[in-house]
Amino acid sequence: MAGKRSRGLSLGMDRFSGLYLWALFILIFGIWKPHLFLTQNTLHSVASQEAIAAMLALAVLVPLAAGQFDLAVGSTINLSAIMVAWLQTTQHWGMWPAMVVSILVTTAIGAFNGFLVVRIRINSFIATLGMATVIAAIQSIVTGQSQPQPPVSSAWNELTQRTVFGFQIVFLYLIILAFVIWWALEHTPAGRYIHATGGNPEAARLAGVQVDRWSWITLTFSGFMAGLAGVMYSSLSGPSLTFGQSLLLPAFAATFLGSTQLKPGRLNVWGTMMAVYVLATGVQGLEYVTGVQWLNNMFNGVALIAAVGFAGWRQRSAATKRPRSEEPLAEESPPGGVAVPVVQAGGLAEPSPAG
Amino acid sequence: MIGSVRSGAQPRCALVVEGLSKTFAGPPALDRFDLEVAPGEIHALVGENGSGKSTFIKILSGYHTPDPGGRVVVDGEPLDFGSNESSWHLGCRFVHQDLGLVANLSVLDNLSLHGGFPTRFGTIRGRTAVAEARRDLQRVALEIDPLTLVEELPPALKTGVAVARALRLQDARPVKLLVLDEPTATLPENQVEQLLATVRTVAANGIAVLYVTHRLDEVFELASNVTVLRDGRKVATRTTASLDRRQLVSLLVGTELDEVKAASQDIHTRADEPILRVADLTAGPIRGLSFEAGAGEIVGVAGITGSGRDYLLGALFGANPRDGGVVAVSGDPLAPFSPRRSMESGMGYLPGERTSLAAIMSYSARENLTLADLQPFWSRLHLHTKSETAETRTWFERLRVRPGGAFEAQMSTFSGGNQQKLIFAKWLRRRPKVLLLDEPTQGVDIGAKAELHRQVLAAAEGGAAVVVSSSDVDELVALCHRVIVLRNGRLVALLRGEDITVAAVSKESLGAGEEVYQ
Repeated sequence: MAGKRSRGLSLGMDRFSGLYLWALFILIFGIWKPHLFLTQNTLHSVASQEAIAAMLALAVLVPLAAGQFDLAVGSTINLSAIMVAWLQTTQHWGMWPAMVVSILVTTAIGAFNGFLVVRIRINSFIATLGMATVIAAIQSIVTGQSQPQPPVSSAWNELTQRTVFGFQIVFLYLIILAFVIWWALEHTPAGRYIHATGGNPEAARLAGVQVDRWSWITLTFSGFMAGLAGVMYSSLSGPSLTFGQSLLLPAFAATFLGSTQLKPGRLNVWGTMMAVYVLATGVQGLEYVTGVQWLNNMFNGVALIAAVGFAGWRQRSAATKRPRSEEPLAEESPPGGVAVPVVQAGGLAEPSPAG
Repeated sequence: MIGSVRSGAQPRCALVVEGLSKTFAGPPALDRFDLEVAPGEIHALVGENGSGKSTFIKILSGYHTPDPGGRVVVDGEPLDFGSNESSWHLGCRFVHQDLGLVANLSVLDNLSLHGGFPTRFGTIRGRTAVAEARRDLQRVALEIDPLTLVEELPPALKTGVAVARALRLQDARPVKLLVLDEPTATLPENQVEQLLATVRTVAANGIAVLYVTHRLDEVFELASNVTVLRDGRKVATRTTASLDRRQLVSLLVGTELDEVKAASQDIHTRADEPILRVADLTAGPIRGLSFEAGAGEIVGVAGITGSGRDYLLGALFGANPRDGGVVAVSGDPLAPFSPRRSMESGMGYLPGERTSLAAIMSYSARENLTLADLQPFWSRLHLHTKSETAETRTWFERLRVRPGGAFEAQMSTFSGGNQQKLIFAKWLRRRPKVLLLDEPTQGVDIGAKAELHRQVLAAAEGGAAVVVSSSDVDELVALCHRVIVLRNGRLVALLRGEDITVAAVSKESLGAGEEVYQ
């Protein structure tokens, strides 16, 4: 029992390590540059600057929970941002029709990704990687590589830039979206099925979960979410031909980092949100201190590798400790009648635990 | 006894174990264990999962240090506990279930990786190496070209190579004791004889063989003596000539299977109102199979690996595809590849491969238990975790899942037996009309096994039609009202009532043409 308690305690340290790190950043930069860093302005600007990246992380999170990679979100968010501006300025559409059509198009792209993965049976990593470049090509065809003018209308700017409690409203949208996705993933049967699909698709199928359907739905949702985030970006910062790809890796980084937080080992919404903002806080603080250009990339990459590496190491050390204390229970025999097990064919000397 | 060990003139025991105990936490895993094995003797060691066999072997190999007080003597020399080197130097050799061969290397390379290549000026002397390898293989009566790749060998010969490697002479250290840990557990039945021949050759060279197995037929065929372990204690050491299979089973598991059989016979079966109807099924290796199962009936499926036994239940449920035929529950025909559809018509399926197919190891016990039916907990836009937990608690108590109260612990942290109980509970929750159980008690300890048997009987008593597919024939004999035997994908025998015996099932499984066990 004593062992159990100490494991619970150390898990607590792991689960909230992001929060401690966050507090540490605020403390360090607060002492170092109090007049720049410890201001409401910093709070508000970090919150809204990172809202789009956080939305894209949510777009990545949902299919990833079902075990599907969506590498096309970077191109998709870019297409959406360009399209919603292009429809308004070049095609003279109204703001709302342009938004609806942009999001519908990206949702259709997500559904097509799902079709490739579920029906054609292409690995999602490959399928969406291919689609990413196809979408980029389509964007070039439509825009002719010239950046469309940003729509000039106060309603369009107000969409994301209106101030609520000092924050730009886009941050509020993010909170609402995160809340809805958290609810769907953690408090509905759908969420249970999605996580089960990601955990072990065949076992989930044999428990009656329609794994293909959920994979398809999550990839479609990812397209929808990336489209929505693209529209927001366009309203917040104006259309850009290239921003999407630069958001792709940080989105995955945040979801993986997030899966080491709060509910370790499971992709989760608030862990992901925390990861986005802890990293942003660190980058913001360092920018006040030095202002060099490469900082953002370096910081994000190192943080990802360090955090995921640390979490993996913790898990392994927990796993190697366990069997010794539970030796009599762990005595397992392999299937009696199964023809040739993989271990024999694989032929590695180290006996590996099943699964 | 110690005196006879010490006196050099008499043939002394290759292995003497006295008063060996090992405690991890709670009751001892091994409790005052004694054993003697003479040179050239094949001594079988049998016991259910959790009986202490593995603990003993790990003490012998120097992995575990036992509790103070016990001793192990190998050919007159005491074993220095907890030391791999001591075990090796005294001449103990081990072949584990996982053979530790590198599949894409040759037999020669596999032998030499362990014992070193003969070299001259740092270059491998090819011809010498081949000759040495051939000599090592001949010692265990294997005629294999040393340059063959291991992956090209049939399974029994792979095990043979592992034995040859274990017996390789090194540093002129004579081998006194060979321990084989369930070498046939993963062998197809028709390969077993080949391996047994290898083992006999080893023993004929004067090496003591400790043979750990789950297959009782091998005990009688191979060993002169057998030691039975249960719950960490030695139940008996007997000569195999003085035992029959039934007596050995009761030494192993006590009277559990007799009780199961009595309880099974008391169930009121209604074979005349079939719930499950299978007609002319063709799927995977299975050809034209038809059978029925009625309310309260437990139908067994027997057959060797490759007979279709391990494919059948998955095909009925829709886990495996079907090529033709009809599977119907209460007259309702099922779609060929849809577990969901099968579940809706009242079917439940416990797959044989527990970790890969039966559960989501990253999910908690509660989440696994409720996954197959979440509807009762979903209301007012919310999954009610509290009522989920309450239901989980009742199933933990009903099936005595250990550790009790660990509803939120990850599935992977439970022992095999408790995982299996949870997977049982997942299906029992749905009150299935047809319960398909693939290897329901494989790899679980004796206590869990009894609990699982009770649950199977209770499900049948509650009016379910139960189909059990198992490689454990003793289990089928105890549980089932009828047993269908498959061979080469076809139904070759339908045994009922008094006709269901281990001998009859084994005979029908193997067929007249392939007398593997004489």
